This record gives sequence, structure tokens and C-alpha cells, in this order.
Amino acid sequence: MRYKILTVDDSKTVRIIVKKAFKTYDCEIIEASNGVEGLATAAKEAPDVILLDVTMPVMDGVEMLTKLKSDPALKAIPVIMLTAEGGRDNVLKIAKIGVRDYMVKPFREEVLVEKVGRIIDLKPLSEGPVKAKSILDAASILIVEDKPAIVQQIQDGLKHTPWKIHGVNTTGEAIDFCSRGQPDLVVISLTLPEEAAFTLFRLIRTNVKTKYTPIFGLVVKTEMQAQQQAQQVGFTSIITKPIDIAELESKISKAMNLDTSQRYFSIDKDIFLMRLPEVTNQLVVNEVLGYLKPKMSEAVDGGLCRAVIDLHEVKRLDMVVIKLLFQAMQHCRELALQFALVGNAQLVSECKGFEDTKGWQFFDSVEEAKASLSRSTPVAAGV
Amino acid sequence: MPTIERISEVVFRETINRAVQDVVKTMLNQNAVFHSESEAAHTSSSPIEIEGQQVVGTVGFIGDINGLIYLYLGSEFAALSASHLLGMTREELDEAGDEVVNDAIGELTNMTVGAFKNQLCDRGFACKLTIPSILRGSNFSIEPISSAIRRIYRFDIGNHRLVADLLMKIED
Repeated sequence: MRYKILTVDDSKTVRIIVKKAFKTYDCEIIEASNGVEGLATAAKEAPDVILLDVTMPVMDGVEMLTKLKSDPALKAIPVIMLTAEGGRDNVLKIAKIGVRDYMVKPFREEVLVEKVGRIIDLKPLSEGPVKAKSILDAASILIVEDKPAIVQQIQDGLKHTPWKIHGVNTTGEAIDFCSRGQPDLVVISLTLPEEAAFTLFRLIRTNVKTKYTPIFGLVVKTEMQAQQQAQQVGFTSIITKPIDIAELESKISKAMNLDTSQRYFSIDKDIFLMRLPEVTNQLVVNEVLGYLKPKMSEAVDGGLCRAVIDLHEVKRLDMVVIKLLFQAMQHCRELALQFALVGNAQLVSECKGFEDTKGWQFFDSVEEAKASLSRSTPVAAGV
Repeated sequence: MPTIERISEVVFRETINRAVQDVVKTMLNQNAVFHSESEAAHTSSSPIEIEGQQVVGTVGFIGDINGLIYLYLGSEFAALSASHLLGMTREELDEAGDEVVNDAIGELTNMTVGAFKNQLCDRGFACKLTIPSILRGSNFSIEPISSAIRRIYRFDIGNHRLVADLLMKIED
């Protein structure tokens, strides 16, 4: 459901500022320039929140508020006063009529959004079919951990990524960081003193800007109670110490919904390249399988007819990898994509040990594989 | 009921200073630095000290205390302020026309006078704001009636000058 916010203000400037403040959230801003228009619009549109000025021509905000609160059909609509009319007595008098909040101008847009966010569940706007964020894009990750060695370990482990890892010691510093910018992901040590991790979790979740930010809990493997508590309150994921950096990176990518296909698939001039990393475990295979068919179809659709499957970094060939390779080759055949394999001595030797793979032929380098593809016409150049 | 005579010049200066600084910081993300103050009786023939085209916002306050404040901005500074306030580029603003700049300066004046009079309300001088109005022009001067007190406060905002001209009605 798309929330509706009605701004009633005679100043077009204020109505524009309100629109600007909410433009990145999934809500509709409806405008009225005085109390009469405001009441009519409220009756017609049934907004979820009304932002109401006081000093206006035709009918002022106090009169509109009084009429609104005496109308059974409209009185439940929450009203936030947004006005230059302040002063203790004024505010008290208007508050008694029945308002949810009172903001005195001048005002900061983020404070307005925060106050509205306390009334309706404001969600950031997903701007339609935009290109998914990929692992090649910069991201800001906040680590809240009072042990500097852990922060350092994460920073070192993820330094090959374009992510900026910020380490802070306390929840206070974390709140300060979140108010200055918006981290893409937060990792909180569950062993911070006085259950601070859970307090911080709640604070991040109640802030409109960060309420959908993924939050990971960080704790030693044996602290089962803390892990259960974190899962119950809604932490996105749990990372256990000692930290497995590959697992952390994979979980971060998944939580931030990153397109990781560039890790495994690329196009080099007129050749489609599929590359498997040194450690190709079940996690990696699952990720590759998710992209395999669409990426190959996309390449063929784009006019490519040759592919190189590069396995030279792969250290060990097991059934999981073999199954993945069979699927990749099958897709190539279906799409009439010529392909060649690149391997290493270890892999070639392991392939000889399996009935199904002993016929596979490998080239020593991608360049050799490419050259063979340009010479041959059959669908499978090396198999 | 408290009377205007109870408010010292220092209080007026501090109150307007706080109001201008608060509005400029919050809405324009700039710092307003108090420059000078003068009473109408002691000013030169052109007390506003802004050259060329000006945009002037006015908002009054009525109640236990009555008066109004004119906020003077050079037209270039008015356009810059409107552009920042509305999140529009100068091209977009030029296309939108002077009315949009007028409305923005009217709202800035409304906020400034609101912040000023709300402090007076909390000192026991209950009053309400009037609807803003705008003047545009150059080489004009406003002369208060003899029963009004006038004080002029000048502020520097970056390379620009903002002038708050306060006129208060003396109690009968």
C-alpha cells in the first residue's frame, strides 16, 4: 500500500520542501494551500498523515484541525503541525485539540521524515528496474566492535573488495556514524557490554533511514544464547568467530542483494568467459548456477558464439564442481556456443580418474583456448 | 500585561540574532554573522546598505506586542537562497520565475519572524503571525510612523548581506 501524506500550507515553498524530503520514500504527497482545501482533500483522499500549517488565508490550521477532529470520518487521521507558530502557550493550546506531533519552523527535512516515519512505515523507494548494485560498486560497512584486532581482521580480509570498512568501538559512535551517513550494512559485536548490541539494533531499526539496513551479529561460535537472542530479535545474519572471511563476504553480498556475477562471468572481446575460483565450494557453485543460464543466454543474444570455461585456479575437482561443469557444457550445446576448457596439471590428472571426465581436454591458458576456438567449428572445441 | 518598554535593546538584538542564525543555519546551511545595528534616528539616509535590486519579505506579529519585520536581501542572494531551499538549479529557478523566489523569501521571512516572536511569546508577550508579503525594487526606503520604534540589524552570510528591519508599535 502506498502511503499518502497531505501537506496543508499556503507556502508553495514549504510544499516543495516536503515533496523533496519524501522523494526517496515510497509515498504520495498531496497538497492543499489552506484549511478549506485541506478538509476537502482529506475527505477525498483519506491521507495517512496530515502536515498542517497554522497561519493560512481562507481557513487557518487551528480551525481546520478543530473541524477535522470533530468529523467522525476524519478524526483518526494523525496530524503533525508544521508551523512557524511556536511559543509554549500556543503549542499547548493547539496540542490539546489533538495532534500527534508539533514541529516549529525552521525545520530539517530529515527530522520531518523521522517524525512521519514514527506514524507510517515509510519504505525507501525502489526506483523501478534499476541496474542491481554489483560487487564492483562501492559500499559502506560499519563494524561495531570493541576489539580492534577483529576490525583489522575484517578490513584486511575484505581489502580486495571496493567496500569501505569503518570500525567503531561504541554504540554512541555507531549512532553518530549512522546520523552522518547511511551505512549499507552494519556488523555488531553481540558481546558489547550491557547488551548494547541489542539496544543499538533497536535504535537502527527505529530510524527511518536505516530500518531496512542489513544488520549482522558477530559472536564466538560457542555463544549459543547470544546467537539465539539475535536471531529472535531479527538480526539479518550471524557471523561467528573465528571469522571465515569468504563466508562473511558471501553473506554480505547476499544481504546487500549484490550482483556477484562479475566474479565468474565476463566478456573478452568476442569470447564469453566463465571462471571458477580457487575454492569452488557448494556456496560458490550455488551462486554460479544462479547466473549460469541467464548469463549464457545474454551472451548469445548479444551475438557471441564462443566460450572459454577457465578452471586454471581450481585446486580440487569434486562431484559438486563436476556437476556444475556438466551443466555449463550442456547449456553451451543447447545454445550452440562453442566452448573450450582451461585447466591445470592437478585438474587434468584428477579428471583422468573419473569415467565421465576422463575424455575432457584442457588448454593451458585462456589464450590457447581462444586460439583453438577460432580454428575449430564444432560446438565443443576441447571435449 | 507586560509592556514593550520592559524589553531592553539587548534582548531585541539577541532575539533577532538567534532567529536569523537559526533559520539561516537550518534552511540554508550557512552561518549568519551579526554585523551591525542601528536605530532609525541615527542612521544614514540609506540604512539598509544593500545596493541594486532587492527582494524584501515582510511578516507582522499581533497580540500583546505588535510590529513587523522586513527582511532585505539583494536579488542575487534571494535567488541563491530560493535555489538552495527548493533544491532547484539556477536554470530551473529562472524558468520558474520571480514568483517562486518571492514565495521562498516570504517563507524565510515567516520562519525568521516566527522564531523571533516565539521567543517573545515565551517571555509573556503572546502574539500571532500575519501572512507574509513581498516587495521588489531598488532605491526605495520605508519610513515608519512616528509612534513606532525602529531598529535595523545587519548580518553577513558568506559574501552577502541580509538586513532585518524591526518596527514595533509603542503602547498607547
